[in-house]
Amino acid sequence: MANVRVEGIKKSFKKETVLSDISFEVKDKEFFVIFGPAGAGKTTLLNIIAGIYVPDEGHVYLNNKCIDHVEPEDRNVAMVFEDYALYPHLTVFDNIASPLRSPRYKQPEEVVKREVTRVAEILKIDWLLDRNPSELSNGQRQRVGLGRALIRSPEVFLMDEPITHLDAKLRHQMRAELKDMQRNLDTTTIYVTHDYLEALSLADRIAVINKGKIEQIGTPEEIYYKPANEFVASAFGEPEINIFNAEVVKENTELKLSIFGRKKIKIPKNIQKLVAEKEISIVRVGIRPKDIKYGFIQKNENCIIGKVYSFEPLGAKAILTVQVHNQLVQLLVPSDSEIQLNQEIFIEIDMEKTIFFDSVGNNLLASYSNVERKGVAWQN
Amino acid sequence: MKSNKVVSLLKDLGLLLYAMFALFPLVWLVIISFKHDREMFNTTFIFSPTLDNYRVLFSSGEFIGYFVDNLIVSVGAIILSIVVGVPAAYALARFDFKGKESIAFTFLSFRFAPEILVVLPIFLIYQKIGLYDTYFGLIWIFQVVSLPLMIWILRGYFEDISVEMEHAARLDGYSWWQVFIKMIIPLIKPGLVASSLLSFIFVWNNFTFSLLLAGQKVTTTTVAMLKYVSSDTVHYGQMAAAVLISSLPIIILALAIQKHLVRGLSMGAVKG
Repeated sequence: MANVRVEGIKKSFKKETVLSDISFEVKDKEFFVIFGPAGAGKTTLLNIIAGIYVPDEGHVYLNNKCIDHVEPEDRNVAMVFEDYALYPHLTVFDNIASPLRSPRYKQPEEVVKREVTRVAEILKIDWLLDRNPSELSNGQRQRVGLGRALIRSPEVFLMDEPITHLDAKLRHQMRAELKDMQRNLDTTTIYVTHDYLEALSLADRIAVINKGKIEQIGTPEEIYYKPANEFVASAFGEPEINIFNAEVVKENTELKLSIFGRKKIKIPKNIQKLVAEKEISIVRVGIRPKDIKYGFIQKNENCIIGKVYSFEPLGAKAILTVQVHNQLVQLLVPSDSEIQLNQEIFIEIDMEKTIFFDSVGNNLLASYSNVERKGVAWQN
Repeated sequence: MKSNKVVSLLKDLGLLLYAMFALFPLVWLVIISFKHDREMFNTTFIFSPTLDNYRVLFSSGEFIGYFVDNLIVSVGAIILSIVVGVPAAYALARFDFKGKESIAFTFLSFRFAPEILVVLPIFLIYQKIGLYDTYFGLIWIFQVVSLPLMIWILRGYFEDISVEMEHAARLDGYSWWQVFIKMIIPLIKPGLVASSLLSFIFVWNNFTFSLLLAGQKVTTTTVAMLKYVSSDTVHYGQMAAAVLISSLPIIILALAIQKHLVRGLSMGAVKG
């Protein structure tokens, strides 16, 4: 039952800046995901909140109390480590029991026994309790690590890629269970991941960080439909969002976009207004692969002709790559589509679903426009 | 098939020869420790065994005194090296500080110079500061023998323990000291046992330092052996008995923890 606030966190290791000016607030009972590519500083940030690292600058607040000088063992936070960090000389039972036997959170031995059994059953590792960590698979070790955190009732759970090492099927299952668990535990959770699906499906809010800086903080819907910049847009979604340059041209009274050198396409009214106001001549257009339609005949004037470059079926869906004027555009299509390589094909871009960026990659509409909440179902 | 048998037979023979070569001095030692001085040079394996040598050894209580002296300085040196070496090895493994490798190398370099090379200056220094012929003086010089070994073996053990495990333990509610005692010490135990035993053997058998830096008030068994060389004769029988008795602790120790010794030196702390 706690809120966490970090303010102006800076951290560098040997002159290399890992985090610069990180500030955010995690509300009570929130599931907060820190998302970023490898080396973005996610784990360092988590370690700072846990008290393992001391930030060079900035403060950490727990329940509005500054905890900069509180030792890790006194912060009452529980953490799941990416590489498990189990005690190799103790059995699974003793590993999970360790927090309840520590001087700080001591419990009577019968409580320890009951709690370990309970947690082990939730995580389905109750048949492994007598083993040593070296006799477990990675997935099992990860669950022991989770168990060691879940056995306590801390103020905050910190999870560092807790399901990354699980195999795909188990990961899927654990993702659902984690969400469930968090709802039942009703505890603030800060969760680090580099998997965008995990972030979108688990989070109440997501902080996207890159190279030690926060790119955007928002709900999964905001992050997905209103990315602050091109980095956020391309980090979420597989295949990646298509982004290409477009020139603003005037046709009659209307402003249109010229994509791929010649085609002039109508754009929504609010964008027209914005472009006119800011006197922008070049915008960058981002369109998600699932929002591009295709056909073999030119249905209307907005259709753009291209050539099939590659077709990769991935189960029910397939990635269709179309070459348009030396640029590659990726589409997500049903995999039973009958498509031949080098075939001529027409693609149609849904301008209503397009995200417009300025020439340095910031979202033009980020400051306003209210995207209605769409039925959010993240595709795998 | 037949040639295989011959080969394995030859191998066994080779090993047997080597075992005889390696063990014969020990066997010879045992034999002469039971021989009377007058039978020393005119008998080999057939003689009338006697316990006289041992009787002489223990009759005056002198030898027991040397034995105790040796025990005090050896155990003292090992304890001192553990107290200093474990934190030093931890620091070298965990912390990143300037000149880390140079310091580690300096520790190791203590073992490079032959003892006889440094003993003279140390002798003069000891005379000056009053450490000559004291328990502490010997303990102090012996830890120079045992500390590098301990630091270098334990450093590897500490490096094998993941830092995250320590962090995890901190978050579980243990203070740094409790983490060290409860989580880290059990993991480095094999290394600690092995390196302690090895250093103990080195220190126990040390002769140069014991001879030149002590010898009157504090006398170790290795130096005491010289006392059986008298002006007119060498009491080989008593000497052999003394050697046998003084090597017993090491033989017993090594046998008792042989398992740990082999494992401790050949394996890291965290497997798999």
